[in-house]
Amino acid sequence: MEGGDFEMITFTRNKVVSVWRKDDDTLGVHGILEDDIYSLEIDVSLSLSQLEILSIAGKWNRAENSECRRAIPFLQEAVGFKMGEGFTQRVQKLIGRKSCRHLADMLLECCYRARDTARVIRWEAEKERRPDLSLDEVVSEQGDPSSGPIKDFQISSRKPLKRGAGDLPLSKKAMISGEMIIDLHVHTSPASPCSSASVGETIEEAKRIGLDGICLTDHNYVWTAAEVERLREKHDFLILRGNEITTDQGDVLVFGVEKEIEGIIELKELRQEVLKAGGFMILAHPFRGFLTFGVGQLGLTVEKAMERPLFEFVDAVEIMNSKVTEKENRFAAEVAEGLNLQVTGGSDAHAVSGVGIYATRFSDRIDNEIDLIRALKKGNYIPVAFREGMKKRS
Amino acid sequence: MPEILSFSRNICTVVEQIGDDSMTSSCRLQDTLMDAYVEISVKIPDLEISGIKGRLERSVIGEKIDVEDAFKKIMGTRVGPGIRKIIRGFIGNSATEKQLAYMVEECCSGLILSFTKDHLKQIPKDPKKAKHAFENMVKANPRLYKSCAALSPGSPLVDNIEFD
Repeated sequence: MEGGDFEMITFTRNKVVSVWRKDDDTLGVHGILEDDIYSLEIDVSLSLSQLEILSIAGKWNRAENSECRRAIPFLQEAVGFKMGEGFTQRVQKLIGRKSCRHLADMLLECCYRARDTARVIRWEAEKERRPDLSLDEVVSEQGDPSSGPIKDFQISSRKPLKRGAGDLPLSKKAMISGEMIIDLHVHTSPASPCSSASVGETIEEAKRIGLDGICLTDHNYVWTAAEVERLREKHDFLILRGNEITTDQGDVLVFGVEKEIEGIIELKELRQEVLKAGGFMILAHPFRGFLTFGVGQLGLTVEKAMERPLFEFVDAVEIMNSKVTEKENRFAAEVAEGLNLQVTGGSDAHAVSGVGIYATRFSDRIDNEIDLIRALKKGNYIPVAFREGMKKRS
Repeated sequence: MPEILSFSRNICTVVEQIGDDSMTSSCRLQDTLMDAYVEISVKIPDLEISGIKGRLERSVIGEKIDVEDAFKKIMGTRVGPGIRKIIRGFIGNSATEKQLAYMVEECCSGLILSFTKDHLKQIPKDPKKAKHAFENMVKANPRLYKSCAALSPGSPLVDNIEFD
């Protein structure tokens, strides 16, 4: 083969994890991550019996910027964590956000391998007593040998859908309001583990800033009509229900679907369910980019994006979302315009301060979920930068 | 007392540019319990997965896995935010399938980081200019603010930034 036939490697990442037994009940784990951008090392000690983190030390050899070193002290916050239900999520949330997601990933990798080791050690200890016991059995009986996040994902809260809230009573505020501004995309805790705002705080903030209503669109969590009704009465505020569903083509806000949607669903299949239920689908943050670069930098043009088949399967596109950049929102708006699709706004709030950053202004009065779907289908609405407008008004 | 290893793992992920409009990302995992290889191909600029293959060389877990079948649903999805959830949702739930899903995730992370690297290369070496570049990056993408210790209040990189 000629030299020129070889392709250039554009990125390499190596991860090495080594586990050894320090004493009868202590495992030592050394993890190294080395790639084109980062070089870091972690040393973790875990108890063998409890799989509890006893100590952590980390260091950067190379990093993205001069301030990455600030992440190291936060690693200590995971000392005392025990592997088990919710472990991965705690590490990702606490270490991943306060410290660094690469350190968090490597810490998890070290802990999973300690768990593997604990199983191998148990198998070695038990095979003397039970010579027929295979390593396969030990690994399999305890489930997945490494991937904690998957387990956590599978056990995420899922409540049976008890819809039929189309006839929910009117919100007093909604009754006296003609034009209505509703935040169609809101996440609350603990229904959405990624959110830090309780539903009560979220509603009170929405009321305080003058929204006319919010739509709870928690991930993989469906509020029952009774729960929402209680919240409406308690807060005297219009609360509607939707769901943010992950499909093979990205996240979709779905309204008016009675059937519970489990796991990841193909967009085409979801479309069939929504059509059957007479509901409505909004493609959420369709061009959400990556943290340090956007879709534009990959050379994606509006024309090319318009060719994506997924747009055939939705009723509207969210073109104002506070979790994406202005450029990405603008790009979504241009694509939606090119395809002549309806457009909406929603904050995608995961914290109280995010509620109402963007919302949708409806010309029609909306008092319940039936009104919402009717209004969405009618198309008399526009996305608005609500908080910004609020500042200007005050 | 010699501290002999009880367990070791090596994972190597490599991203290659194949022509102007496609890339491949491969992941080789070798540890005490298993040895596997996964490779995905994506089309630029959509980063749509146009090909995916894998093989299981060795595993202490006796289950029979049709690797190609496990990957079938991933074809056509786009590498982007949220891809982890999609991969985990589509590739099966057995212990081996979860490992394969993890390797697909590593391939996707490699691809994303290869673009991140290109972006970071544009940041000047001069500390003052670099600080300014990071500030602008955070201003352009508020999701970065408080996303890690380096970009949280108290860090000089975000000194001049205030979000509501």
